[in-house]
Amino acid sequence: MTDFRRLTGMFVAAIGLILSAPQAFAQQPDRGDEPGLIADDGYQLDPEWQKQVVYFRTTEPPGTIIVSTAERHLYLVQPGGRAIRYGIGVGRDGFQWQGLVTITNKKEWPDWTPPPEMIQRQPYLPRFMAGGPGNPLGARAMYLGTTVYRIHGTNRPDTIGTKVSSGCFRLVNNDVADLYDRVPVGTKVVIRQKPEL
Amino acid sequence: MMRTFRGGLLIGLAVAVLVAVLAIIYEFYDTRTLKRTVRRGEVLCGVNKGLPGFSIPDDKGNWTGFDVDFCRAVAAAIFNDPGKAKFVPLDANERFKELQSRKVDILSRNTTWSMARELDYDLYFPAVAYYDGVGFMVPRTRNKETSLDLTDSKVCVQSGTTTTLNVADYFRVNNMKYEEVKFDKLDDVVKAYDTGKCDTLSADVSQLYALRLNLSKPGDHMILPDMISKEPLAPVVRQRDDDWMMIVKWTLYAMINAEELGVTSENIDEALKSKKPEVMRLVGTEGRYGEQLGLTKDWAARIIRHVGNYGEMYDRNIGEKSKLKIPRGMNQLWNAGGVQYAPPMR
Repeated sequence: MTDFRRLTGMFVAAIGLILSAPQAFAQQPDRGDEPGLIADDGYQLDPEWQKQVVYFRTTEPPGTIIVSTAERHLYLVQPGGRAIRYGIGVGRDGFQWQGLVTITNKKEWPDWTPPPEMIQRQPYLPRFMAGGPGNPLGARAMYLGTTVYRIHGTNRPDTIGTKVSSGCFRLVNNDVADLYDRVPVGTKVVIRQKPEL
Repeated sequence: MMRTFRGGLLIGLAVAVLVAVLAIIYEFYDTRTLKRTVRRGEVLCGVNKGLPGFSIPDDKGNWTGFDVDFCRAVAAAIFNDPGKAKFVPLDANERFKELQSRKVDILSRNTTWSMARELDYDLYFPAVAYYDGVGFMVPRTRNKETSLDLTDSKVCVQSGTTTTLNVADYFRVNNMKYEEVKFDKLDDVVKAYDTGKCDTLSADVSQLYALRLNLSKPGDHMILPDMISKEPLAPVVRQRDDDWMMIVKWTLYAMINAEELGVTSENIDEALKSKKPEVMRLVGTEGRYGEQLGLTKDWAARIIRHVGNYGEMYDRNIGEKSKLKIPRGMNQLWNAGGVQYAPPMR
């Protein structure tokens, strides 16, 4: 009897999955989150998105992170009027924000618990995923203030330079690891958005 | 009595004819460039004969480039038609004379603004279009981060250029030793660098990005972010023609302000409906700055619609969307890491 019940349960669950999967897929065609996909480490970024030292004049002190959403660049301010520039993926339209925050926490190979709002929009996402190469947060995560947003790695290097996320800023794993080693908790992060008409 | 009246009439008529003739002659020889340009129906632009990214014609005679686009912007402001710009290729040594002799209305030809040039040639450089300067290219494998790391280097340069002087000053001021490897021809300089005969190649940064394309493995080389000299490239006009100078100056500033305000060739129609005061003054839905320039209220909207804002002009010709891929660097807006700064339009 228990066996039969269990079987029925599994059957219902299977039908549910089959019915919900295509619907979820239709609702949210590829948004750049592909849990389980192993990052292609050989992926070659366009020169525009490759890490490089650039001229950068600012009144922010060295060590500050400046994110330019419109440009899809993250700058780490250096002494002598320059910055290390990384290519990033940013929030899709309507998911961009600006402000001044600090890095409040740092994690290597972070676990992923998509926040409820994200689950609501993208019901096909897992409720929890342990850290590792298939995790969309990639190799490192830096927490931004008390927000749900992070600067993190990715298992989709092809999304660098695009507007795909729910408000997070993603770098390729090599770059996010490089940045992670350069910035401590408490680092000031300025997020700039393009002006509105 | 009758006679005197007739005589007076004749004299009056003669005076009237004389005035009319003088007026026609005056009109014909009017030195005001805007009037001449409007009467001619096109803007005459002095440009470089062929400099990739800045001004270069294709085999059908269609010009492209940053300097070319700036001239099209001036034509768009006046005629609402960027096609009303005609390009006159000029040599470096004839460019100022040709501008003085009114063969062209404006020089938009990668020309460095300097005090001597304004004074010697009676010319005026209204605003900086592109901040250039002498810099260095190095192989990526050398792991150099700044030109201060170049001590004891062999430096390839073209002889007879100001680059050699700037390099000498820079190394002396910073107490660094170096060895100069000079060639008369630029091609030989590039070849020497490409075959490893020197550690670094020095030229204007804009030129270094173009030269890099000709190397056997362009991706293996990088241009250091430092500039060791000031080469502000600017359009040039004649002195004592303030109305024209104002048009050229504010054409550039309108493009820079448009980028700062987020107005692009793609959203210009949306911008025309904007209620933001700064945007309204730019696109001409508020104020009458265009009319005060001798143009129409929507002069800047015309520029942005046809040519785009400063960033669009940069990216398309020399920036990330072009072959050259020169980072914005100093030419980024003042509030985004660079020094490009336009006075407000109010």
